[in-house]
Amino acid sequence: MDIGAPLRIIEIEPVSLPLPETLPEPERIPDTEPAEPG
Amino acid sequence: MGTIPASLETFSSSATDPILAWRTWTLAGSRDLGQVRLLPIAGDGKPWPVRDPARAACRRPPRHHIVPGFGCRCGLHATRAPDPLRRTRDPAVLGTVALWGRVIEHEHGYRGEFGYPQRLRLACYLCFWQWGLPGACEVVARRVGGRMVPLCGPHLELSLRYGYRVGRLLPAGHVEQALLSTYAVDVLRSVVPER
Repeated sequence: MDIGAPLRIIEIEPVSLPLPETLPEPERIPDTEPAEPG
Repeated sequence: MGTIPASLETFSSSATDPILAWRTWTLAGSRDLGQVRLLPIAGDGKPWPVRDPARAACRRPPRHHIVPGFGCRCGLHATRAPDPLRRTRDPAVLGTVALWGRVIEHEHGYRGEFGYPQRLRLACYLCFWQWGLPGACEVVARRVGGRMVPLCGPHLELSLRYGYRVGRLLPAGHVEQALLSTYAVDVLRSVVPER
């Protein structure tokens, strides 16, 4: 990925991530596949 | 990228809002989708942390230089627009990413010190490469080792016709939902850059 030549430096104060307190667990798919080698 | 005159480093400014840019990732996950992770297309191959910022690191000399270095290639890469990402190698996920900390602005993108995905969607890499749109994925081919390859219906059919080993097929909707829940982000609905 070519993003070209650098132009300038920007200093951005660290931010906290806007994450919700609780989230639903990812939906799981029944594990019926045979075990993989290795 | 050529040698950077040291004087250019003086062109700096400060800001408060993270920069929003575009990025692609590869994808890996467990069979039951209990663990779905974004991985960089290039670089160290470490998964992006979940609900914690990714932080850039660099092993190139000089040791212990500030990351991202102005004259280095290190940092979390992202582009101003999605179109240049069509040329990335086998992307599985297209999305926007927030960058902050020390950020090097480039002609066509950025290199950031910290980053976290903001909006994500699965991308059929063949659709994205051909048309610049991620395509409506129907399945995700999970290969041995956990690598996940989202595919649209027509490209799945083409892959099967030409003997491409797709591995186990998972419903794309389930994989995408697991990805969004894991990183606690929303789906990317449009590939038109936001202003």
